[in-house]
Amino acid sequence: MKAPLPHPPLAQRMQIRDCWALIRHLFEARNTLVDFQWKLGMAVSSDTCRSLKYPYVAVMLKVADHSGQVKTKCFEMTIPQFQNFYRQFKEIAAVIETV
Amino acid sequence: MAAGELEGSKPLNGLLNALAQDTFHGHPGITEELLRSQLYPEVPPEEFRPFLAKMRGILKSIASADMDFNQLEAFLTAQTKKQGGITSDQAAVISKFWKSHKTKIRESLMNQSRWNSGLRGLSWRVDGKSQSRHSAQIHTPVAIIELELGKYGQKSEFLCLEFDEVKVNQILKTLSEVEESISTLISQPN
Repeated sequence: MKAPLPHPPLAQRMQIRDCWALIRHLFEARNTLVDFQWKLGMAVSSDTCRSLKYPYVAVMLKVADHSGQVKTKCFEMTIPQFQNFYRQFKEIAAVIETV
Repeated sequence: MAAGELEGSKPLNGLLNALAQDTFHGHPGITEELLRSQLYPEVPPEEFRPFLAKMRGILKSIASADMDFNQLEAFLTAQTKKQGGITSDQAAVISKFWKSHKTKIRESLMNQSRWNSGLRGLSWRVDGKSQSRHSAQIHTPVAIIELELGKYGQKSEFLCLEFDEVKVNQILKTLSEVEESISTLISQPN
């Protein structure tokens, strides 16, 4: 009677796991940006706060997924959040230029 | 012993903290009975209830008007002078509380009034794609950006976007236009 097959050694098992991770990564849902619209708003008052008085940046993104289907995503940023967002894009631009 | 006579700032400060957690920061489970038993155990419930309502009302008025310190002093002084108002010791506790918690309460109020998703986080990396055919090598760097978005009180949603260098620069140009608008808005008199 044949001896049962031994478990593959740890290094091999980890390679198999990495392969699955890679396959998942390749099919990761990544979208491309089709359009970027923005507006600068000022929240003045609300039912919970009569004196809001804060400016905000509202963004509407149109993004296309790998199949070409376009969907809309909206979000808002306070001014400090926008400034951080802008700073990060400048960093990305600086890095991408050097790659 | 009446709630109004119970001085020593600790119970009132604790009460204001709990009221802020309940009213502004959305902390669940803060009941009238819990507050009374923890902070004012010697005050009967029928007396605690109007006291709690009065303090909640004062805190909401101050937050709603986003009072600066002059407005706050005037408001609290008026409260000490009216029938069934507050004592000057209580006014001092409320004033100190607002000064140290104003920013955080205001931030919560802003979050509550935002009904779109907010930007909770942004992470990115740049990949250098390299294609090799025979001996030619083409490098097309790609920026991968993950935006974490979420509505108030809801789970985050993650959006992963890919940009080439051209797209990154296009976005940068748009963002500089936004910044210009912000500068124009800020420089305008009220």
